[in-house]
Amino acid sequence: MTLSQYYALIDVQARMALKSDASRYYFGYLWWVLEPLLYVGVFYVVFNVILDSRRSDFLIFLVCGKLPFVWFSKSVSQASSSIIANVGLIGKIDVTKTLFPMAVIQEGLYKQAVVFLLLFAILLFTGYMPTMAWFWLIPIMLVNYIMIVACSYVGAVLVCYMRDFTIFIGLGMIFLMFTSGIFWDLRALEPAMAEAVLLYNPMALILDSYRQVLMQNAAPDLVHLAWVGALFGGLTIIMVKLMRFLSKSLALKALTA
Amino acid sequence: MLELDNVVLNYRSGKNSFEHGVHNVLNGVSLSLYKGETLGVIGKNGCGKTTILRLMAGIFGPTAGTVRRRANTSAALLTIGLGFKPQLSGRSNALLSAMLQGSTRAEAESCLEEIKAFSELGDGFEEPVKTYSSGMRSRLGFTTALMTRVDILMIDEVLAVGDAQFRAKAEAALKERITGEQTVVFVSHQGPQVQSICDRAIWLDQGKIAAEGDAESVLKQYTASIKLGPK
Repeated sequence: MTLSQYYALIDVQARMALKSDASRYYFGYLWWVLEPLLYVGVFYVVFNVILDSRRSDFLIFLVCGKLPFVWFSKSVSQASSSIIANVGLIGKIDVTKTLFPMAVIQEGLYKQAVVFLLLFAILLFTGYMPTMAWFWLIPIMLVNYIMIVACSYVGAVLVCYMRDFTIFIGLGMIFLMFTSGIFWDLRALEPAMAEAVLLYNPMALILDSYRQVLMQNAAPDLVHLAWVGALFGGLTIIMVKLMRFLSKSLALKALTA
Repeated sequence: MLELDNVVLNYRSGKNSFEHGVHNVLNGVSLSLYKGETLGVIGKNGCGKTTILRLMAGIFGPTAGTVRRRANTSAALLTIGLGFKPQLSGRSNALLSAMLQGSTRAEAESCLEEIKAFSELGDGFEEPVKTYSSGMRSRLGFTTALMTRVDILMIDEVLAVGDAQFRAKAEAALKERITGEQTVVFVSHQGPQVQSICDRAIWLDQGKIAAEGDAESVLKQYTASIKLGPK
């Protein structure tokens, strides 16, 4: 399979999934913006209305963290089940197994493009004007994307061998949500603790980087970001090779377990 | 173009506990498939017919033994139950199948109308596959496989369903294709069909080849064993 064929297959599967999803819901494509807004709404009510956040810019602080996080958590959770969800195709033809998580990731990418536009609209509407610093978003989004790909591959393999991992992955996402500073500020922690969180939780770094750029017009910690990108990039390459090696075993597991 | 040498396949399945959860599906199977021939595979349910197709198509790997396939030969399996994304329309599924078998998007799209016409699904072609009857599914599956070009076509019981009219049409189309260069492996438990389509046949029993040879004689042995009842 050539790279262009591979991409065409991912693209066509993603578009089909988006289309069939939209046709299933009454509000159709509107859910692309409604869902993230509802997520933000829920968090806003809990952490700003009920528990006073003591931040005048809490809404912006929240959207800059929550919207990229939802991109990660939804993509990875869904991609983790993608191999077993495609047993029909897997039982019919010998295909590269990365195709299935990638199709889910691509689907998430199309949705996220709209979500980022929504984020920018909220920022503009509340008086945050774009500056040259916003170009730093490109490497941040790229690292964010690489993290999604690497974690999705790991999740898809684990779930294929043991369905029980879906539960762990769900739990892991909740843990990550609480520890990544979505509704609390990493920079308000004791410096030693903040450093520890940043060191062990790359998601916290990503979310903080988005905020640095969008709210402070400052460059993110590029060295740290590059390390995270390289780490997950390396993991992606290892997983691609592993999934190629395990291809037939994954098919057997998907079809018989 | 394809050779199986003493192939064994077993797997562990979750919590099923016979033989400690290990299923022995194939137990030392050797066979060769030649270019342009039509090989029939017969046997009772659960004797490993579908598994042997999946091994031949390179979907599964053997636990022991070797599967040798000539380089760059494509293979696809045609089954009734699996193989579709139920929430997508017949058209989308046909497009996806064709692309998975190596067609470009443009090539795949160009044969969609032909698939729609041959399958006689009409407006149903645009409906989600989950609304299809099993006959409609088999029409779609059969037509999709027929229109797309694979070197080895593996057909798993597909002709067993569908109404008589479509079955006759499908058989005719298949025969036309078989007379050409197409290599086909055909699984069925309908004796007459195997006899009319296949050059050669194997009879699988309990993960082993019980008989092998020209379709007629293998079928005779198979039907004789059925009449005698279980051994």
